[in-house]
Amino acid sequence: MRRILAVALVAAVALGVAGCDPLSEFDPAPTGLPNDEFTLRVLAGSEVKDMVPILEDAAAEIGVKVAFEYVGTLEGTELVASGAADGLYDATWFPNNRYLSLLPGATSATSTSVKIMSSPVVLGLRDDVAADLGWTTTSPTWAEIAQAAADGRFTYGMTNPAASNSGFSALVAVATALSGTGSALTDADIDAVTPGLTDFFSAQKLTAGSSGFLADKFAADPGAVDGIINYESVLMSLDQPLTIVTPSDGVVTSDYPLTLLSSADASKKPLFEKLTDWLTSTDVQQRIVAETSRRPGVPGVDTGTTFPDAILFETPFPNTLDVANTLISTYLDTVRSPAQTLFVLDTSGSMEGDRLAALQQALKNLAGADESTAGGFAAFRTRERVTLLPFDITPDAPIVIDIPDDDKTAALKRIRDTADNLVADEGTAIYDALTRAYILALDQQQDRPDTFVSIVLMTDGENTDGSTAEQFNRFFDNLGSDASTIPTFVVLFGDGDVEALSSIASLTGGKVFDALNGDLAGAFQEIRGYQ
Amino acid sequence: MSTTAKRIAGLILAALLVVGIVAAVIWGTRPGQGTPGETPAAEDLTVVTGVIGSEKKPFFEDPEVKAIFAENGLDVQITTAGSRQIATSVDLTGVDFVFPSSAPAAEKIKRETGASTVYAPFYSPMAIATFTPIVELLAAAGIASQDAAGTWHLDVAAYLDAVQAGTRWNQLPGAEALYNSSRSVLISSTDIRQSNSAAMYLSIASYVANGDTIVSSPAAQAAVIDEVSSLFLQQGFSASSSEAPFEDYLSQGIGSKPMVMIYEAQFLGRQMSAEGANAITDDMLLIYPDPTALSKHTVVPLTDAGKTVGELLTTDPRLAKLAAQYGFRPADASVFAAQLTDHGLAVPPSPVNVVEPPSYESLESMIAEISAQYETPASGTDGDSP
Repeated sequence: MRRILAVALVAAVALGVAGCDPLSEFDPAPTGLPNDEFTLRVLAGSEVKDMVPILEDAAAEIGVKVAFEYVGTLEGTELVASGAADGLYDATWFPNNRYLSLLPGATSATSTSVKIMSSPVVLGLRDDVAADLGWTTTSPTWAEIAQAAADGRFTYGMTNPAASNSGFSALVAVATALSGTGSALTDADIDAVTPGLTDFFSAQKLTAGSSGFLADKFAADPGAVDGIINYESVLMSLDQPLTIVTPSDGVVTSDYPLTLLSSADASKKPLFEKLTDWLTSTDVQQRIVAETSRRPGVPGVDTGTTFPDAILFETPFPNTLDVANTLISTYLDTVRSPAQTLFVLDTSGSMEGDRLAALQQALKNLAGADESTAGGFAAFRTRERVTLLPFDITPDAPIVIDIPDDDKTAALKRIRDTADNLVADEGTAIYDALTRAYILALDQQQDRPDTFVSIVLMTDGENTDGSTAEQFNRFFDNLGSDASTIPTFVVLFGDGDVEALSSIASLTGGKVFDALNGDLAGAFQEIRGYQ
Repeated sequence: MSTTAKRIAGLILAALLVVGIVAAVIWGTRPGQGTPGETPAAEDLTVVTGVIGSEKKPFFEDPEVKAIFAENGLDVQITTAGSRQIATSVDLTGVDFVFPSSAPAAEKIKRETGASTVYAPFYSPMAIATFTPIVELLAAAGIASQDAAGTWHLDVAAYLDAVQAGTRWNQLPGAEALYNSSRSVLISSTDIRQSNSAAMYLSIASYVANGDTIVSSPAAQAAVIDEVSSLFLQQGFSASSSEAPFEDYLSQGIGSKPMVMIYEAQFLGRQMSAEGANAITDDMLLIYPDPTALSKHTVVPLTDAGKTVGELLTTDPRLAKLAAQYGFRPADASVFAAQLTDHGLAVPPSPVNVVEPPSYESLESMIAEISAQYETPASGTDGDSP
């Protein structure tokens, strides 16, 4: 029933580009992408993974190869605007460049861009639920959707707007519609729409860090929520049919601009032009429509009856970084259901030295030490409950820190101090610690039912003490359905046992994050998108 | 515990992950078709370099245009930049001519470089690309009307009033059947901070908001700035190049871009191009703001070779005809009309009610004041900045 995608390992290969990695012993190459005269190195949103078969044919037909490295849109755009992508990639391919264009430095960092295809972010609901709400025949407004959500008439999943473009697009569309101004959202509007947003997000019962993971979670357990907010293309590609609800007052459409970086070598420009010409040719556009369910990126492509005839009203996108970031912060701090997050942390003897230092830094980054924008969004939020559960041969006493909804300074300091006091020694009892974590997590879930509870398991080695994998599997299966909503996100680090850890992620509906290159802080930050 | 063994295992895993990335690379089965470019040119051609507005790039890359320049011993190499960038930030060292799409930008460059003359071989009026249902709504609301010759015009004063009043599409009579959107009635443009076509739009709007007078004083600017700022700020995100909103209009259609401020040449050029014409569907049409402004594409020569380019563009009838094929209006109106007629298109009349743009300084001053509003920080919100 639950499975982890094999591709997740490749996709999750952390970006070592920041170059601030304190662990030199593994000395990872900053990027593994090959660089030759036939290859465009593309920093891309994981959304375009489904273009790989088409791009394989581009390689065959026009001799242009594409090497992808996947990253979340917001994190990726920050890399580009800061110049950290220079020399490592030739081009970007994110769902859109709008957030990027708001960042200082973005205009000079990017050169030509060509829109390849498009897909709006919409709500997909189970047919019976949509019919019951009357949305199979009439498209509701966002305000009507928010009202139905507040009345408990449906539940849904959505990605985290701080980590994923589809969630951010939906947040912009609903906030703009609720503002009722008919124009782009401004700072002044955000306070006014916060109550409406709270209504709308009260029905969100599933979160994820990427649109692909969200779709997989929904496919694996379609009963968990009544629907998901995602790209129209993703919803149309699901096995189970959903009613696609396109809000009548506007959606945010992704237009997938393939964008050449200004820093790219001159030899890459002809490759870029050849590839974009090919991708925008009528034949290839028709393939994109047929194979990915995205709308064409250029005019004059006949799509037949693939898409509904109704006019797709486009929501204006904010024009300042401040509005975008305030909206995301409001979502995280005020509007969304809070998270309860348990960190199961290996402090066995093998962690001593650089590894423990990396763990301490990763935790401290989430507790306010990382001052980048993406780092700021990944930080622990107001109303969140953070539980630190260090373990060696036995789990230590859990340290539970509730972050208040006004001033989080003291709580964050306590987390940083706790991190500083971690000591590494003795053996590794992974399953005993995880068992303890699930018992705690279930208590916490019962205590605060309207929260997203999840576990992070970080270990650098194999299980040496305590219960076995089989014993844990039996324990987990006996927990029943309550535990099935509590995923474990595992971090591969040091000499972590890939097979055993992947099994844990798979069993619990979680996901594997790779920090084998030493970038533990990057992996922790990425996991935050899923909590 | 055997740390060494584990470390080796870790290294192998790390290596496998790298292999994983490499495997994700899409390898071709055939090698590429070699490096492009390298078209052999006659050795004795003089290379002339120009910095031009991007909307003229297809014209300069046209093989017939290149052939005519070659006949005259010239190999014209162009790079593109926004007209306002050409006037301010582009390094003009070693450049033979610049060819911005606005007269104020050309005037400033002429002044600063001491160029003795300028050439204005063709122009294009500002126009609004829109859709039949939208025009019907605007007509019913008294914002648009059709003249005796069949050309549609947008009454800019009535339009500004509608925007000032916060009018939504679905408040206009007949909207339910034609365009039932709660969005504000608003023309999409490019980013005023970066693009000339938005500056032309500002020229028109500020003239009308200022009681049909060109804005030329700080007092006049202060009187109109709020009204004209909202035309841009309300749009939210807007693209920096004039191609982008027009391409959205063509590919995403009425729901995304019901009205786009463009150069007339963009629409007409597309209609006359062999490969692009099918992008213009039956429900798409051009309407003209009343008053409108002219984008005067102006060559400022910086060297003698640059001067030759300007002269050829102005005097060679074949170049005028080719420019007309791209939708530009050469000085000789009959050349333009003949091209449209040849393509079976109606010939739009020469615009009568035309606004001169403000001086370069006045225009830049308004743009600077609008730009500053994009950066205004939040007031009364509690977003935490990290």
